[in-house]
Amino acid sequence: MGAISKARSQAADAGKFVADWLEHRAGIVTMMEHFLYEPVPKRGAWIYTLGSATLFLITLQFLTGILLLFYYVPSTDHAWNSIYYIMNEAYFGTLIRGIHYWSANFLLAVIGLHMAQVFFSGGYKAPRELNWVVGVVLLLLVVIIAFTGYALRWDQDGVWATVVGMKIGSYSPFVGAYTIQFLMGGDTIGPATVSRFFAIHVWLLPAALAPFIGIHLYLLRRHGVFGDEMEYRERLAKLQERQRLEEYEQYEDDGEPYVGRRDRADRD
Amino acid sequence: MAELQKDPMTRGDFLGFGILGTIVGALLTIPPAAFVLGPVIDVNVRGESDVPDDWYRVGPIGEIPAKEPKVYVVEFPVNQVYSEEQVIEEGVETPGATIDNAVWTSWREEIGENGEAIHRIPSFVESGVQPPLTQEQIDEVTANLNVLSSSCAHLGCPVRWIVKEDGGEFLCPCHGGIYDINGGYVGGPPPRGMYSFTFEVREDANIYVKHEFDIGGDKGPQQPYVI
Ligand code: FES
Repeated sequence: MGAISKARSQAADAGKFVADWLEHRAGIVTMMEHFLYEPVPKRGAWIYTLGSATLFLITLQFLTGILLLFYYVPSTDHAWNSIYYIMNEAYFGTLIRGIHYWSANFLLAVIGLHMAQVFFSGGYKAPRELNWVVGVVLLLLVVIIAFTGYALRWDQDGVWATVVGMKIGSYSPFVGAYTIQFLMGGDTIGPATVSRFFAIHVWLLPAALAPFIGIHLYLLRRHGVFGDEMEYRERLAKLQERQRLEEYEQYEDDGEPYVGRRDRADRD
Repeated sequence: MAELQKDPMTRGDFLGFGILGTIVGALLTIPPAAFVLGPVIDVNVRGESDVPDDWYRVGPIGEIPAKEPKVYVVEFPVNQVYSEEQVIEEGVETPGATIDNAVWTSWREEIGENGEAIHRIPSFVESGVQPPLTQEQIDEVTANLNVLSSSCAHLGCPVRWIVKEDGGEFLCPCHGGIYDINGGYVGGPPPRGMYSFTFEVREDANIYVKHEFDIGGDKGPQQPYVI
């Protein structure tokens, strides 16, 4: 046996040992299997990556946003200066802020595509309509986060875009005035506006976004993605048959009576 | 059917829990809600404004040309958070924040019988203003002066004066709203003409404004919310 193949088999043994160890203590492998594999229809499989692309971009937003917080100062006197610092002095500041900016822009575009895909493939139909609703909530949250982020730049673009946005809001019946007074922190734009937009952009809405992403993913996994119904059912039936057999075998090995597995909820 | 409630609950229990829940819920909700809604309460219930209700100097009337508008920038102090009066008085060395509003001033333009433009600049202004002004002069100026907010009546972008061959017009950069020199609506999406500030002219030949709009116009009153 050559040295290389020996090393390889040793590494494989070590890997297996670690995986087994973790599996026994935390059920990691089973969990990974559960989280990683999701059958998607064969035809147009790439189209099903749009949701993951959205999730990826949101993750980028969280990561770069956290980094920007190391330098950003939410005050009327210093907001612009601190961004100027990020853009000109901080190492890779242009890159980090650029990613935050561009992934925010792409995020909205990709969400649009993702929604179009779900809409045109009929993926919003029962029993997935609740997930569509959760998705719409996510969309609204992202739009408001994008809007509030624009103001934080506190440059001419950001401020006027914010004024225009708030004026649009001010035309809503009955609550218009209150809404923008709440956003501005008074009856005029000023220091309170920056603080509020900061609180909403950085804390309130991301904190609201995270659990909704969780629900969105949970519901997705509960019902699976929707595709060409015939093809999908066939594939799913085969997969479940295989899983059932595997599980059956395992229970036999363990010497325990087979109790069956919980059926997937979308199989009626 | 899914069964949520395993032990049946009596009507009395239900009411008791309901009342208790309401009280506890209110106790938990009111402080944070009032905390974040503070400014809305201040403005609407207590009638407070973030800009003190004073007159602020805009600039001298003598500098406004006969046929073109002149822009002045007014810095209104803003009482918010760290630039709140009390905070600054306490000796923290933060300069108070201001909101800068551009104010477009011009002499009223009217269309004469033959279609020619008449600019209503008072003759004593044209020949050089000599303060102090008399009451008649002040009245004449007040009657013929436009004191307009640069904030577009559509969605609030700052309008600017565009010089053209036969005079000019106010143009909004955002969606192309157009107004004439008096702030009257000419074209584009704005629902009305430009807003006028509440203003007065004093003996020192200066214009003074309040941080509020004088709502008028033929489209009926409309509350401007962002200035
Ligand atoms: S904001 Fe001026 S035209 Fe829309």
